[in-house]
Amino acid sequence: MPEDVSDAVLSELGRKLVAGSLSDAAIQRATAATPDYAILPWVNVVKIGGQSIMDRGRSAVGPVVDEIVANLKRHKMILGTGAGTRARHVYSLAIDLGLPIGVLTVLGTAVAWQNAQMLQYLLAQHGIAFLEPESFPSLPHYLMERGAVICQGMPPYKLWEANPSVGRIPPQRTDTGCFLIAEVFGARKMIYVKDEDGLYTADPKKDVRAAHIPRISVQELLARDLDDLVVERAVLELMLTARNIKEIQFVNGLKPGQLTAALDGEPVGTIIFNADGTGA
Amino acid sequence: MNDRPEAQHVVSRLMRESLMDKTLIAGTEAPVRAILPHLNVIQIGGLSIMDRGHTAVLPLLDEIVANQDKHTQVVGVGPGVRARHILSVGLDLGLPTGALATLAAKSSAQNAYMVSCLLASHGFVYLEAPFIVQLLPAMLAASRGAVFNGIPPYDLWEHPPALGKIPPHGSDAGSYLVGEVFGARSIILLKDVDGLYTADPKTDPDARFIPEIGVAELMRLQLDTLPIEPVVLELLARAKLATSVRIVNGLKAGNLTRALAGEPVGTLIRA
Repeated sequence: MPEDVSDAVLSELGRKLVAGSLSDAAIQRATAATPDYAILPWVNVVKIGGQSIMDRGRSAVGPVVDEIVANLKRHKMILGTGAGTRARHVYSLAIDLGLPIGVLTVLGTAVAWQNAQMLQYLLAQHGIAFLEPESFPSLPHYLMERGAVICQGMPPYKLWEANPSVGRIPPQRTDTGCFLIAEVFGARKMIYVKDEDGLYTADPKKDVRAAHIPRISVQELLARDLDDLVVERAVLELMLTARNIKEIQFVNGLKPGQLTAALDGEPVGTIIFNADGTGA
Repeated sequence: MNDRPEAQHVVSRLMRESLMDKTLIAGTEAPVRAILPHLNVIQIGGLSIMDRGHTAVLPLLDEIVANQDKHTQVVGVGPGVRARHILSVGLDLGLPTGALATLAAKSSAQNAYMVSCLLASHGFVYLEAPFIVQLLPAMLAASRGAVFNGIPPYDLWEHPPALGKIPPHGSDAGSYLVGEVFGARSIILLKDVDGLYTADPKTDPDARFIPEIGVAELMRLQLDTLPIEPVVLELLARAKLATSVRIVNGLKAGNLTRALAGEPVGTLIRA
């Protein structure tokens, strides 16, 4: 038989965890009743879009960098980067070559990494460091010292990315990676900096009748089952089970001041919130 | 036109399109190539095998070595009771799922490292996730085998589960995903049970053994105890290449060899 861990050091839940099945619903429910400790409750996770910001070059990235610098002393920020047009090219090529989803994830990660490096060059003179996932234990130190750190936005799933139900594009990309950073640290805010004022009833790039949506619940958004979304569908699904992050905000990085307003807690852009306040 | 700065695009089929668009996503369906079609993924259970020590582990490793000439094997290892303990302490401290996943993955890394030490004289090395990405083919060419951490490298990025806080992607999921991405020939999960039953055979005399079952039917049965992580069933349902998983009793000599030979031992779960 397996060697026992002494019962004396374990809580009642601990004894069940050691003896029982982790997929037992009763045990899972019992874990839900444990406290939620927020690791970095003052940090803001800010995702800088790949195609929407980085690919536009200096005219778009410059003002965003200026705004980040202006906020360094006021708000602590984890800056994650998106991938963008080079990822689309490499996904397209890799799909054509018959490569699996995990390989596409490795390839897409490299593009988000390139964008993170470029952003870091622009912020280097302000003492801002770039951290790989393996260096995340040092992240609190950099945040306390310098106010921000940069990371690439992809989750580190590599070859272990799961297939989507339809198609061949990795379903969990930089929106998802940044959301999960915010969730695990119990962050103050999750802000997505893109090239639109947030969510619309249709794609404003294609449809002039599209109306702006300032605030919508994730439940309603999922129920609408839109053909296109401002954010990866995986983020909306994870919002339903997240314990810490109850809302996410989308701002237009091409309009100076929107990121600052969002950091200050103003309702700019679009806020998607979890209408089920109790969470998972 | 507006005065917004234009993005600089690289020309591709996906250029300028939203990657969230359903039509675009559906249009990317295409055949996937198996990268390592001769690979067999073998998962050694943590609680079910490793924690029992040499009486359970050594005969299995002998069987792996006996099959080394015939089959390419990559061996994933599960975490076992130490992960349960650190989950318990971590939950008590209020740590989130991503932190718990990072902690639990170290327990399976220990088990995988021990297995690699026991197989070292046969050329098996333990490969961390970044080395699985880069070096696995070379290691397989050298010794037809390697050892990896069964728990996938989701770490802080592990999903908050639907119920509670236990990390949903354990070593069954990680081993399955390795099989899927490489297009492996087989995925064999070694446990301490013969496979799936319609009920718990220890308590229900009417329990019947299930030699083979489809994932949809298995989900419909809603069995109380499943000797496999439920998330694997969801992953199987979306399989491109690895369309089945075999659960085999690793405590019975010869079972692994039979499974590698393609014989109907244990339970086969089909996509």
